[in-house]
Amino acid sequence: MSTLIYALQTAMKSIWNEKWINLLTVLSVSIGLLILSSFVTVTLNVDSALKRWAKGFGMVVYLDEDLTGKAENELKKLFLQDPDILEVRYISKEQAVRELRLSLGENASILDELDENPLPSSFELKLKRELLKPAVVKKKAEQISRLKGVEEVQYGEKWLSSLNTLSTILKTSAIFLGCAILVAIVFITYNTIKIFFYRRKDEIETLKLLGATRTFIRLPFLIEGLFIGIAGGLISAVALFGIHSMISFKGVEILPSIRTLMVAPPLQAYILIVLVGAVMSLTGSFIAVGRIRY
Amino acid sequence: MIQFSGVSKYYDGDVVLKDISFTIEKGELAYITGPSGAGKTTLLKLIYCAERPDTGQIVVAGWDVGKLKQGTIPFLRRNVGIVFQDFRLLFNKTVFDNIALALRIHDMQPREIKETVNNVLKDIRLKHKEHVFPQHLSGGEQQRIVIARAMVSRPTVLLADEPTGNLDMDTSRNIMGLFREINARGTTVLIATHNNALFHGTGRRVLYLNNTHIEKEAVG
Repeated sequence: MSTLIYALQTAMKSIWNEKWINLLTVLSVSIGLLILSSFVTVTLNVDSALKRWAKGFGMVVYLDEDLTGKAENELKKLFLQDPDILEVRYISKEQAVRELRLSLGENASILDELDENPLPSSFELKLKRELLKPAVVKKKAEQISRLKGVEEVQYGEKWLSSLNTLSTILKTSAIFLGCAILVAIVFITYNTIKIFFYRRKDEIETLKLLGATRTFIRLPFLIEGLFIGIAGGLISAVALFGIHSMISFKGVEILPSIRTLMVAPPLQAYILIVLVGAVMSLTGSFIAVGRIRY
Repeated sequence: MIQFSGVSKYYDGDVVLKDISFTIEKGELAYITGPSGAGKTTLLKLIYCAERPDTGQIVVAGWDVGKLKQGTIPFLRRNVGIVFQDFRLLFNKTVFDNIALALRIHDMQPREIKETVNNVLKDIRLKHKEHVFPQHLSGGEQQRIVIARAMVSRPTVLLADEPTGNLDMDTSRNIMGLFREINARGTTVLIATHNNALFHGTGRRVLYLNNTHIEKEAVG
């Protein structure tokens, strides 16, 4: 216990005595963590948007003009039995016109000019969320289009593909960027602690000769590294919260729907930022102190 | 308390100590002397495991020094107080903190440390300098601090390497007096010096180190 108190006092004294180099290290760590956490937040937002969009993703199956009611029922039965399909909604020719009239609003009178209803009856299918991958959806659409009585199958093919690509790119980049930044944090703390270690080389030598254990010698450096990581993490968590809040508030003025679209990082994410900073800096300090030989 | 049996030490193939054998009994105060470069410092370093013997066996306070693992060395050193030739005082710490460091290493409680260090400072008559930094002390005062730091944790063995190297005669006499007091309390003391005047007429055992081996043993 006495050793821990002494190590804490020594670390605090060193943090104060070497305040400028410590401040620079803390800021470097916090910038690294902020870049990483911002990138992860953007990725999360895109992923969430994709999921939100996927929730409403539907495949429209247009039916042949001359299809009988019996054949339509058989098709419906087939769709309902399909385990990949979550929801089946039949839209008759009349309903299709009603819906079109509604969406046209003031311009709906244009439909009165028509002699007959040109819209086909259709099925709106919702696929299971886990199947919403471009290749899978395309295969399913082809499968359905081959069915008897199906005129055409439509879905947002390009959108689905673009969003999936964007999500994959962001996730892969987050992993690579994350690894690079974590290594950088370890390296930054390693350098600072190594400098402190060399500056106190004579003192460490004396401590060893007086019978100090490795733990006694290492502890102040590890505490200092831990402080750098926690401080860096806290600064970056506060900055992330600030940036996110600013975008949420200011962004609303430009794009009002941003409030519903944006996903705020949960409290656990802020705690994780501090923890990651602490663990990485501690690792850097541990490597910097290295093996102590007597 | 200290036992050397056929100990040899080489540096880059050059022999520094050759077939050294001697015993220092518990509670004894002995001197080891010889010209500069005779290997006195190396011999002391072998005792506190800063160097390892190439051949032979060294036993210090029951520890077989040659076989000690890295992690065990600190525990041997806690039993061996060392007065270094170059003092090795920490100039960014006060007199009090320099001495207290030896007790902090022993994980002693702060209140106990304060009491013990204050008593030691009174013993060496430097209580009034407890808040002073070592660079503001004279050579003799610095040496007394080094001795206090070596003794404060009550080791069983005290080693001193040229303890009066840069001191005048009066200060040297005072320092030697401190060693005698420490020895009188039961601590085994081994002093390495090239200064014959320090052991002349003391009636203590003197080991003469020359040309890599112990040339003779006599009473000073």
